[in-house]
Amino acid sequence: MQDFDTLLKKSADAHGHLCPGQVVGVRMAMLGCRLIGLDEPTRIDQIKKLIVIIEMDRCTGDAVAFVTGVKLGRRSLKFIDYGIMAATFINLETQTAFRVISTEEARDLAPVYAPEIPEKYPRQIEAYKRMPDSVLFRVQKVRVDMSEYDLPGPTRKKVSCSRCGQVVRDNREVVQNDFILCKPCAQGAYFREAKEIIWPDMNWTPAQEEDQMFVGKALRHESGK
Amino acid sequence: MIKTIDLKDAVGTKLAHDITEIRPGEFKGAAFHKGHTVCNEDLCHLQKLGKNHLYLIDLEADEIHENEAAAIMAKALAGRGVVWKNEPREGKIGLKADTDGLLAVNVAALAAFNMIDEVMCATMHNHTRVKAGELVAATRAIPLVMKRAPIERAAAIAAQNGGVISVHPLRQGKAGLIITGDEVCHGLIQDRFAPILNRKLIDLGCEVDRVSFAPDDAEIIRRAICSHIERGCDLVLLSGGMSVDPDDVTRKGIRLAGADEVHYGAAALPGAMFLVAYIGQVPLIGVPACGLHHRTTVLDLVLPRILAGEKIGKKELAFLGHGGLCQDCPECTYPHCAFGKGS
Ligand SMILES: [Zn+2]
Ligand SMILES: [Zn+2]
Repeated sequence: MQDFDTLLKKSADAHGHLCPGQVVGVRMAMLGCRLIGLDEPTRIDQIKKLIVIIEMDRCTGDAVAFVTGVKLGRRSLKFIDYGIMAATFINLETQTAFRVISTEEARDLAPVYAPEIPEKYPRQIEAYKRMPDSVLFRVQKVRVDMSEYDLPGPTRKKVSCSRCGQVVRDNREVVQNDFILCKPCAQGAYFREAKEIIWPDMNWTPAQEEDQMFVGKALRHESGK
Repeated sequence: MIKTIDLKDAVGTKLAHDITEIRPGEFKGAAFHKGHTVCNEDLCHLQKLGKNHLYLIDLEADEIHENEAAAIMAKALAGRGVVWKNEPREGKIGLKADTDGLLAVNVAALAAFNMIDEVMCATMHNHTRVKAGELVAATRAIPLVMKRAPIERAAAIAAQNGGVISVHPLRQGKAGLIITGDEVCHGLIQDRFAPILNRKLIDLGCEVDRVSFAPDDAEIIRRAICSHIERGCDLVLLSGGMSVDPDDVTRKGIRLAGADEVHYGAAALPGAMFLVAYIGQVPLIGVPACGLHHRTTVLDLVLPRILAGEKIGKKELAFLGHGGLCQDCPECTYPHCAFGKGS
């Protein structure tokens, strides 16, 4: 793994700014990886062993994801919306998991660890660099029972909703009175009044314009035949 | 886990903790010690102490008793020059100075330690001069029984960087004194600075090698500094010439002598025009004129710290500000006052 300063800089670039959450997140990720015995989580031989479950959608979460290299699309990043400044690091190979929790005390201790800095955020940034892990974090050894449908790898199951026809992957369907339903149909959704529409330039594609013209000519040629 | 039992059922059980008795003006201490087996004769006495129930402790594997916790914490808190005995009294263990010297408290680590609910540690002020055997801190667990994990985390916080509390012996410096000023040098007025500085240095266990006098001439001051260092002085004190007056050439002399670090100005009163400089490892201290008129000044705050091996720079002089205001009491009671206690 790269050194802390390098990781912090790159993580802050990726996140958009350097903030106290970046410092905490980078350190949380470094500690989590160390605890589960992965020293190069983004290297090809370790990348598939790691799953990180992040419990907050805050600055810290971005830093944890950046340093560990976990990604939603690889199914190595899970978000559980607890609103808790914590993340669990799982080594799939050794089946060890540690939940690293950012302490509330650290906020109150920032003025003691960086008393020479008067502004709140710069002071937190510096203080969170100075605090030892023991002050910044609490750690729990945990067991995470992970369903095979949550693991990385190919889609293991596909079904269609009996009400709306939508394909549902990875066992996320709901069975009600023997009917297979997608979650929006079964439980209601985060959106409402869904109504299908048409929109301007519906036929746009990212292919080059030349290609478009070529396709057009070809079509004309074909119709002229 | 703690269970509560009625006093009448307590005969034959062992006390889970010391039971304190206070008879005002007569006695304060443990009437019964932890581990004592309660017998029939004790019931009356216990009742008089207001104990109608007793606690029975049934420790789970991940639990710890306050006495064991106190010992784990004391071990982690104690740094160099601090000793303690594993003899908790009412759950408390005292930490004592093992040597005469200056108390050093890692204030940030202490605060972090105390932020853990189950533990506490209270200390004397950072930078207090202490004698061997003096109580400098005490620690205890708050609950009678608790989980082991928070105690071990508290111990980890306390143990980093060699413990929270340590006592650094003062080195026996060999000091050179330079009294500057035309009037004194030419015998127009009698110097009163040298005896004052001399007394303070000797009180701190230093030896004063030589006192030299220099007029307001930067080159002569430079030579005086260099000659002290050549004679083996590992500490040089200069008086006078610390004000903003352009004729005050002491500072210039210090720079000419090759000081590679000069910090002028301290956040303490009296003593704002204080100066600390270094030539290699040798500290140079510029004492402003207030040192003549006040019994206690910034010099009394900084000199022991230098002798205890601390490097004094901009930050240390700035942090004196909180608590750095002397109240100018008619009768000076320093060090038993707030002066210098905030940093
Ligand atoms: Zn941010
Ligand atoms: Zn559906």
